[in-house]
Amino acid sequence: MPTDQQIFDKICELLRPYNVKNKPILKTSGIMSDLEVDSTAVFDLIMELEDHYDISVPMEVISDVKTVGELVHAIQELLAQ
Amino acid sequence: MTNDTTKSTIFSKYDPLAQRASMVNKIGVDPFNMTFDDILGPTRGRIGNREIILAGTNNYLGLTYDEGAREAAKSAIDRHGTGTTGSRIANGSYAEHAQLERDLADHLGKPSCIVFTTGYVTNLAAMAGLAGPNDVIFIDADAHACIIDGTRLAGTTTVRFRHNNPADLDKRLSRQTYKDGGHALVVIEGLYSMFGDIAPISEFVDVCQRHGAYLYVDEAHSYGVFGEGGRGIAEEQGVLDQIDFYSGTFSKSLASVGGFCASKHPEFELLRKAMRPYMFTASAAPANICAAQAALDAIKSRPELRHNIMARAAQLHDGLNRMGFDLCAPASPVIAVRRENEGQAAMEWNWLLREGVYVNLAVPPGTPQSSSLLRISVSAAHTEADVNAILAKFKALQDNGAEILADGMRRLQAAE
Repeated sequence: MPTDQQIFDKICELLRPYNVKNKPILKTSGIMSDLEVDSTAVFDLIMELEDHYDISVPMEVISDVKTVGELVHAIQELLAQ
Repeated sequence: MTNDTTKSTIFSKYDPLAQRASMVNKIGVDPFNMTFDDILGPTRGRIGNREIILAGTNNYLGLTYDEGAREAAKSAIDRHGTGTTGSRIANGSYAEHAQLERDLADHLGKPSCIVFTTGYVTNLAAMAGLAGPNDVIFIDADAHACIIDGTRLAGTTTVRFRHNNPADLDKRLSRQTYKDGGHALVVIEGLYSMFGDIAPISEFVDVCQRHGAYLYVDEAHSYGVFGEGGRGIAEEQGVLDQIDFYSGTFSKSLASVGGFCASKHPEFELLRKAMRPYMFTASAAPANICAAQAALDAIKSRPELRHNIMARAAQLHDGLNRMGFDLCAPASPVIAVRRENEGQAAMEWNWLLREGVYVNLAVPPGTPQSSSLLRISVSAAHTEADVNAILAKFKALQDNGAEILADGMRRLQAAE
């Protein structure tokens, strides 16, 4: 089971191509509001995470996620199931 | 809730949208709120004294001005008035609603078909009616907004799979666990409306059957257009009889407003008493139903309409391809030209309109891969000369690209 930090690092790695303005990525960063990743790109990013961790992240979970930290938490919860 | 009401209003959340819309408006006409002064036919409109070639209407078979469809609509108004003033469960169905359902069911070889008030409402109603709290909906990554909204109304677990990728769906179906009595409902489209690419429906049928999943195919952009009998991509790929649920719209090849969902399961009929967007909205007006009925008759009896549209689509695709434009899919009645960014696409869209060609501007988040597109839809009513005229404008757009962008920038700066 990966740690929070490992999941965070993976998200940062996958976020890189979408973070076109190269803003610093923190757990408190809003994925759409701060990093300016559009909603379509968020779903593409989630698919890469799903493939990496071999999980399915339901859309209703994604819509509740606003920050990078919340995404880490959501992935951690799905892995624990 | 903030106490500082002077700063925040109920519209404040739309500030980013307002900013973006304002930029597009400064370039010229608002692409998402424009008005034609007159519509002259299936392929012609008028703005001021300029005649515009309509190449973004989804009027695939060009039947909105068909003599039979117009007469049927006019006669329906004379016989049954202008509206039904209520829903089918409250006010009852008209004989024409029921007849159209029987004829669509027969055309598709399904025992059940239900007609709805719009295409959007069709997917909302059927998806939310079919998927209960223990079921899981699987949707294609490029699903249309009405499919996404259908999952929201269903309110159940929804999983997205990679676009047009049956192997990815297979993986997600294998991974999924279900609550008691839960089933999988897989929703795909025949022809995707933005890129104009086609689903490998036969492969999806195979994956769904292996997992015991129900397959729902939205053929809004392909019914009437593809297949020897106009029954869409599912017919073309030889799997129409294996589709569990088949939805379509009246507002494209059927030249009207409304929608339908047909099913190979007779129990689908029961959902008339469960689908809220069917039960609690006014039924389609008699004129709309009768126009769709006449268009259905044309789909069945005039295969030449399909030959025309495919010939024009091939001509346009080939011409744009030769010019080196980046096209999103092989030839189909939807041809999407990929542009560098939203600004360029908006400036070129305005230029094309000024030059007498109306296409669709399609930008993120409504497009796959965050693309900015000049989207063209071809009609069977377009002539070879029409397509040549569209091609000539795209050639001019290419030759004058730098000038068009510079002009767009000048307009933007002048407005600021």
